[in-house]
Amino acid sequence: MVPRGGLRRGTTVVVNARPGTGGLSLALSLLSGPSANGHWSGVIGVDDPGVVAAHELGLDLRRVLFIPRPRGAWVETAGDLMDGVDLLLVRPPSKASHGAARKIMDRVRERGTVLIALCDANATWPLPADVSFDITQSQWSASSKLDARHLTLRVSGRGEVQRSG
Amino acid sequence: MERLLAIWIKELSVEAPDGSTLRTAISLIDALQIICPFTEVIRLGLFVLPIRGPSRFYGGDEGVLNAVSQCVKEVSGFTPSLGVGEGLFCAEVAAKQQVLLPPGTSDFFRNALPLEYLERKDLATTCHRLGLHTIGAFAALEPARIGERFNKHALVLHAVARGQLSELPGQRDVKLGQRLREERGEGPALDEQTGFFGQRGASDQRAEAAAHRVRRRLGVDAVLSASLQGGRSPEDRATLMPWGSPEARSTPEAPWPGVIGAPSPATTFSEPVGVQLRNSDDENVAVLSRGLLNADPSTLVFSSAARRHIVWFAGPWPVLERWWQTGRKRAHLQVLLEGGEALLLSSEKNRWWLVGIYD
Repeated sequence: MVPRGGLRRGTTVVVNARPGTGGLSLALSLLSGPSANGHWSGVIGVDDPGVVAAHELGLDLRRVLFIPRPRGAWVETAGDLMDGVDLLLVRPPSKASHGAARKIMDRVRERGTVLIALCDANATWPLPADVSFDITQSQWSASSKLDARHLTLRVSGRGEVQRSG
Repeated sequence: MERLLAIWIKELSVEAPDGSTLRTAISLIDALQIICPFTEVIRLGLFVLPIRGPSRFYGGDEGVLNAVSQCVKEVSGFTPSLGVGEGLFCAEVAAKQQVLLPPGTSDFFRNALPLEYLERKDLATTCHRLGLHTIGAFAALEPARIGERFNKHALVLHAVARGQLSELPGQRDVKLGQRLREERGEGPALDEQTGFFGQRGASDQRAEAAAHRVRRRLGVDAVLSASLQGGRSPEDRATLMPWGSPEARSTPEAPWPGVIGAPSPATTFSEPVGVQLRNSDDENVAVLSRGLLNADPSTLVFSSAARRHIVWFAGPWPVLERWWQTGRKRAHLQVLLEGGEALLLSSEKNRWWLVGIYD
């Protein structure tokens, strides 16, 4: 799904989604491969993380630090974690400022961390990212229960080919 | 459940003191992996392979059985017992009885087996007293009754009996893979080498230092770590505890009744939000004592008075486990809203709560 076949160190991946359309599941699933391979992740600003869902999506819970409520200090908290984890999933509480986004992305590049920014479709990440996923459509298949969700994504990024699927 | 060819070689099931059993097992696995690369050794004397692919290649199940039988004889000198069944439990019994179960018949086969095949004497004795003699009769008991009458091991066996779990606890020798690697002179598998619980690697120490930095900034409760335990619903199974607290005992594998199953909601509220569920006449929807809804829900009303139309729902799933101890009687309901959002609701004492969002 990720262009060039995998997350690269020092890059920023943005997931833009309306609430309830599967953005959080998508963002968590981006962590799963590296997490299963023993890399540490930090999850900032996801107030009530579904731990069972994270497990089902393939995260190794032993190596995930959750900071559900960074209060006003999500940028500083991201900085604190940057040296200790390989992947950082951040959900800003409101539209991130240019300055904050610039600061985090610079540090991510410097430290070789992978940043996954989960943003509301109405408050998108203010700077161009290496890869952006926009969830354009989200559909459930169900039998006697909800079975699976099918997402249609618009993938874009610096120098990447646009595609959906 | 996957259709498996099980290969039972009694002569290899008891380990010889000279190490020859392990060496033969290694030669066999190497030879069988030419027939099917997914062949694995379950424990000494028992090998399995998914038969679908090879069956296509050999023009049918019989062709695979012949190839495997010949291969085992050539490599080990022993004549194997072969059988085909769905899931590891059925496949092993099929091999010992030398039967080839056609696709879709494993449930009948399993249901007809005497309870002794579950390999728990205490369970078989209790069941016989209740007049239950076959796996099928045991499987027909309600999962909630199992929790009432038997210990938690019985829940696992019950799931095997119902065909929800494919193998018996203990059927697989989990240490055998490592022993075979050692016998081959290979090191431990990478994932075992970097074990979190063994010696702590440099990356664990860096993460620990980072967690301390965040705690100094935001307070000791700001950093949480998660674990899973057996439970009826996503909010019961998950525990988020301040990072660094002693590890909770976790048994995520226990098949608790009432678990809805994947996918689980990616947002699970630590404090559920009160909501109201209304039918098309704007009357409250309730769960009846029989575990059914008194009417189809059509509108979800939030405390802010915001209303959302419900286009589909599933459930309710009763959460019965241990209700006689806790006095709690709950049911879960999945609802899909008009905008496409899916929610998990919980009902308790005629009140509805939003417990999770499939976000």
